[in-house]
This record gives sequence, C-alpha cells and structure tokens, in this order.
Amino acid sequence: MDIAIRTQADVSLVALAGHLDTNTSAAAQEALDALVVGGCRKIVVDCTTLEYISSAGLRVLLATVKGLERDGGVLHLFGLNETVREVFDISGFSMILPVFGTEADALRGLLR
Amino acid sequence: MKPRKGFAVTVGIDLAEIDRVNAAFAEFADAHHLPAKVRRTMRVVFDELLNNAISYGFRGRDAGAITVDVELTGSRLSVTISDDGQPFDPLQAETPDTGRSTQQRKIGGLGIYLVRQAMDEVRYERLDDRNVLRLAKVITED
Repeated sequence: MDIAIRTQADVSLVALAGHLDTNTSAAAQEALDALVVGGCRKIVVDCTTLEYISSAGLRVLLATVKGLERDGGVLHLFGLNETVREVFDISGFSMILPVFGTEADALRGLLR
Repeated sequence: MKPRKGFAVTVGIDLAEIDRVNAAFAEFADAHHLPAKVRRTMRVVFDELLNNAISYGFRGRDAGAITVDVELTGSRLSVTISDDGQPFDPLQAETPDTGRSTQQRKIGGLGIYLVRQAMDEVRYERLDDRNVLRLAKVITED
C-alpha cells in the first residue's frame, strides 16, 4: 500500500494505492490519524488506484470518519473501482459515506 | 485423466502469510486466465477468512497450520480452507446492520458478511479436529 498525501487549501487529499487489507490497515490508520491529530477536518480519499478493500480497510475509514465527525469534520471519497464499490455497497458504506465520481466532485463544497 | 486444475498451499499462523496465499492464487489465476474481478474478490475473501482464522483460532498457541486448497472444475471455483485451531465457525458471526449511521456502525461480522455475498456457497464443518470451510463460486465472464 502506498499512501500519498497532498493538501489543497484546508483539505487533505489522501491517495491510497494498492490493497487496503489486514496487512496494510495499520499504516493507513496511522497516516489518517496523524492528519486528524494535526488538526485536519476535511479529508478527501482518492481511491483511483485502490485495487481492493477488505473489512480491515473499512474499519480504518469508519474510525477516521467517527473521529472527524466528532469535531464537525468530513471525509469524502472518489474513484472507487468496481470491486471496491461492491464492498461499499454490500457493507452499506455507500449509504453512510459520501462517495463521488471525480476529484472535482469530491472537493466541491469543501474548498473555501 | 486430465490433470487437476488447482493447488494447495499450507501457511503458518502469521498475518503476513496471507500474502503467500494471495501470491499462490495470483499464479493460479494467471495460468487459468481468471477474470480480474474474480482475482480481486478472492483477495478480499482470503483476507477476511485467513485473518479470522489466524486471529481467533489459535489463541495461546505459537504455531499452527492453515491449508488452502483451490480447484477449478469447468467454471466452478472451489476453495477449501482448513486449520487445526480450536473450533471456530465464522459463519456464526452476527449479521451486521448495514443500514446504520457512521456513529452507530460497528465492524464486527462485516468480513464474513462480505465473504457470504461474494461467494455462491460457504459451508463450515468441524472434521477430524479441524475447522473446514468450503467455498464455491461459479465464474462468469462479465
């Protein structure tokens, strides 16, 4: 798993590449936690090159969203492939997390 | 007699071993030209089931073995995962409430739910002091 983070205004864009599963979830959680601890309240997760996600990965996203929401923050996602989208649909995550088609759509409303 | 299309791999009870199963399956998938979607689905399935088995089946033990057997018969992909850990039936996990909000959602049971949805058949049995999970999926080209 490769995690690349860049910022645009007060939004952190986190690109997850590869597999978000049992063996990579700790690194992803650490990276996302660091952003939240550092004061970031708007996170956009770029899933364009995320091949697949297992429940260990969903756990990371959910924990991050719960932490953000407590402080009025938000997390948007975009670029889910068919497999990731399927996992989101089956788990109900499509209904509880805002998923967008493109980066521009995911950023819309977040940038000030 | 035609040669069997399949492989078996036995791994230790270390989470890093999941990737060894994935690598073996990738090689098998290449050899039999399995669709990319099936490969990705099976990675999720292996991640969920091996993580479960390793995390819950061997408490208090330093060593153990998990065997993954994969076979392709026509378009039917059969996978058997067996281990000598303590009796553990992952199918008994509670079905998650997938309609809840972020603050109410819990992750418990979600992994096995994903597996059930991804595969056509999932059965558990305790056989000769082993946990045996039999999975099957009919591969469709789409």
